[in-house]
Amino acid sequence: MGLDFVGQGAGQTDGNIITTTIDKVVNWGRKNSLWPMPFGTACCAIEMMATLASKFDLSRFGSEAIRFSPRQSDLLIVSGRISIKMMPVLKRIYDQMPDPKWVISMGACASCGGVFDTYTLIQGVDQFIPVDVYIPGCPPRPEDLIDAVLQVQQKITSGASPKGVEAVYE
Amino acid sequence: MSEENQVEEQPKPLVLEKLEANHADALLAQDESRGTIVVVIHKEQAYAVLEYLKTDPELAYTFLVDVTAVDNSQMESELMQFDYARFMVVYQLYSYQGQCRLRVKVPVHENDLSVASVTELWQGANWLERETYDMFGINFEGHPDLRRILMPDDFEGYPLRKDYPLRGRGERESFNFDKQNV
Repeated sequence: MGLDFVGQGAGQTDGNIITTTIDKVVNWGRKNSLWPMPFGTACCAIEMMATLASKFDLSRFGSEAIRFSPRQSDLLIVSGRISIKMMPVLKRIYDQMPDPKWVISMGACASCGGVFDTYTLIQGVDQFIPVDVYIPGCPPRPEDLIDAVLQVQQKITSGASPKGVEAVYE
Repeated sequence: MSEENQVEEQPKPLVLEKLEANHADALLAQDESRGTIVVVIHKEQAYAVLEYLKTDPELAYTFLVDVTAVDNSQMESELMQFDYARFMVVYQLYSYQGQCRLRVKVPVHENDLSVASVTELWQGANWLERETYDMFGINFEGHPDLRRILMPDDFEGYPLRKDYPLRGRGERESFNFDKQNV
């Protein structure tokens, strides 16, 4: 969690004193309230919907508030193949998201083009937007997407900057 | 009596009879492919024949299922049949009245890629012809809005032609975000 309890333990200290740093508290909040922007263009999006629905229930990890506006979200889930006509749209949506923002490249097509090695398909969205977590699979299981969200949470907890921030400020 | 003698001669399909009677000069070839009648029509009369097929009360091929094209440039046997016409524009028709299908093919030479648009006959041909233009570069004359439908507007080339490389000409790596109308 990143929070240190002072005293004999939580609940036993009269004043419940907690010492920490601002960064840790902020990251703790960010981690547990990731708002995903779904960019579903293919069958991976079906798995993403299953992940959000009741059986797999992504809200257990604090990520159930799906935003269909990039301006209100901080996690972009690219799930599906991206054509050369769609790439400018994806780029613009990424640019519209406020910092800090993280990107999950879900499935083989978004990560490397998958089986579609053709004239019209982007061979990996990481050529154009920074990607934090890749998910292999065609399509990946909902558990894989949950795992990717947990990996993003770990990155946030560790205090590491998102890939996009590194790209901008370094 | 053997079984062969019992099999009756199939009557000639009505559509072939009527085409032979009314548009004999336009009819280049006729064939059957897996139960579908196929007719090859001369390009200059293609619109007139398609109009006839649609409006004739006995035939009434009122439903245009699909418009597409075939690039025969690497099929020597196909090329030879119709005077080395590289492309074959294909119209798939269906008649609700007769409950039967018809495939109309129109050979198109590479040095003259224009075919009369059938958007006047079927509104639905609009996007189908745009797709054929996008993928093969066939110009449909009289089309109200002939521009690309699948590929980006600034795309160069026609990707379903056989001489177009499968992995493209570098367009998926060299990307100009400014040129796109996002």
